[in-house]
Amino acid sequence: MMQLLLDALGAAAVVAPAAVGFSLLFALLGFANFAVGAYVAVGAFATWSANGLLGWPLLASAALAAVVTGLVVLACDAAVFRPLRGAPGWALLISSVALSFVLENLLRLAFRGEVRGFDLPLARPLVFGDLRVPPDLLWSVGVAAIALVAVLLGLRLLPWGRALRAAADDMALAAVRGIPVDRLRAGAAVLGGALAGLSGTLAGMNLAIEPGLGWALTVPVIAAAILGGIGSAPGAVLGALLIALAEELAARFLSPAYRPGVGFVALALALLLRPQGLLGRPVAGGRDR
Amino acid sequence: MTSYLIAIATSAGFYVLLALALNLQWGMTGLVNFGVAGLYALGAYASALATERLGLPVALALPLAAAVGALAALGLAGLSARLSGDYLAIVTLGFAELVRLAAMNEDWLTRGTRGMGIATRPLPDWLGREAYALAYLGLVLLAVLLAYWALERIRRAPFGRVLRAVREDPLVPATLGRDVQGFRLRAFALGGALMAVSGSLYAHWVLSISPDHFQTPVTIVTWMAVVIGGAGNNRGLVLGAALVIAVLEGTRFLGGVLPGLDAERLSALRIVLIGVLLIAAIRLRPQGLLPEPRIRAAELSATAAPQGDHRP
Repeated sequence: MMQLLLDALGAAAVVAPAAVGFSLLFALLGFANFAVGAYVAVGAFATWSANGLLGWPLLASAALAAVVTGLVVLACDAAVFRPLRGAPGWALLISSVALSFVLENLLRLAFRGEVRGFDLPLARPLVFGDLRVPPDLLWSVGVAAIALVAVLLGLRLLPWGRALRAAADDMALAAVRGIPVDRLRAGAAVLGGALAGLSGTLAGMNLAIEPGLGWALTVPVIAAAILGGIGSAPGAVLGALLIALAEELAARFLSPAYRPGVGFVALALALLLRPQGLLGRPVAGGRDR
Repeated sequence: MTSYLIAIATSAGFYVLLALALNLQWGMTGLVNFGVAGLYALGAYASALATERLGLPVALALPLAAAVGALAALGLAGLSARLSGDYLAIVTLGFAELVRLAAMNEDWLTRGTRGMGIATRPLPDWLGREAYALAYLGLVLLAVLLAYWALERIRRAPFGRVLRAVREDPLVPATLGRDVQGFRLRAFALGGALMAVSGSLYAHWVLSISPDHFQTPVTIVTWMAVVIGGAGNNRGLVLGAALVIAVLEGTRFLGGVLPGLDAERLSALRIVLIGVLLIAAIRLRPQGLLPEPRIRAAELSATAAPQGDHRP
């Protein structure tokens, strides 16, 4: 049982940063960005390039990957989404799916489809009674927790965080109050991208690094964000924990093959039972903006 | 070369059917469906199982597949009942992935990734290779014509007018006493049935289906056909589908121009091109090549004249 919770925590560490990133992007840019999975894949390959090609230590590679992914997301926003401002929702939605395929296949062009892994020292799992704790898991949960706590505290306490939440709440009002909305959007793109990049690093530690890795994470990440109440950053973390727990349960008691489908089923149930999300405000149908 | 062209035209037909169905769901009713590949797969597997396991003829398997597709679509639309685009998008996408997972893992039923062979063919074998391919193309064209005709009827009928009203502003038909949710469900189910029919025709044409055939690019190409052709315009999307298939097939020959690329990189490059094309199309011509025809625009503008009309 403890083992199951521990494994779920490891899986949640992969999904949670990207889910918070997705939520941030949704709140500030105003649409569901389906390219979030591709951003995660960019992060995984950026980490691998630094770690596997240049021989950097993993922590430095992760930092580099966060920066690179943040900039890639900023560039994508400028090239694809900003010109569509004011366009109907479907235009942004479909453009983001198309972008996700462009990014995934650019990675495939550059790195080919072969499967890689990070250059990590092999380590014996720590054993406490019948609990087996691989050091990788401690590392990734630790890094994800530190990054997420920093972002959530920043959003809550720092001036830019308050400005960001104000803009997410009511863009026009924030602009009238003198908040530099365009700079905030750029900031949200970089921060959301950096979080997706971190997910990429952590996904690369658990899963094989290949260009399709991001697409496989798209449904769990978006499901986590919706489950927690779309646009709510703490909700996204909670959603990721629940999805990960459901995945572990399904893998243990049903079949590990259906692990990627769990996000969908959890989402379907959530939509039936609580359409506004766990931490979302009740709304009369539709989404809450 | 002729048989190659016949094969391309036939597979273009499957996409035209998918695009017609998506146009009903999204172009006319405004319901986002990212699960096209899933409903297509469901139709293919349902039909294949009906003929191979139950021994039914294709003539019975096809309507059975349509029913399965309609039911699945009904469930999907019902699930996200009062929810808007973003939710329906992720739910349908998740559904497509789930269908693919099931096809991959339920080995006893679908033979998994090895693929399922299909022996039942809808047309008589005595036709011979060439004539059979041509006749199958005729069958697919017939299905396309029937679907096109039916959807045009729907578009012009009161049913179609309510669907467009639901798309533009659900509050208006609701105020006029229309059951908005019921119209949405029916449009989505009808589209799902047509997607499954396309899958069934596909299955009995390729004669061996595996989960690989039903990945997300199927959905993307269908969306491209509708977006490029013009949402809400059935004629436009036939043009759009033809154009998209031409680009898809044309880029196969890039290998001759760019000899440095192996098969894997070439296919990646093709998908990059398709994605960029879709993004550009949305940016540059969101209404598509042939925009939705306005029905009796003169009448409408005559009644709307008091507002913002500055004619002398």
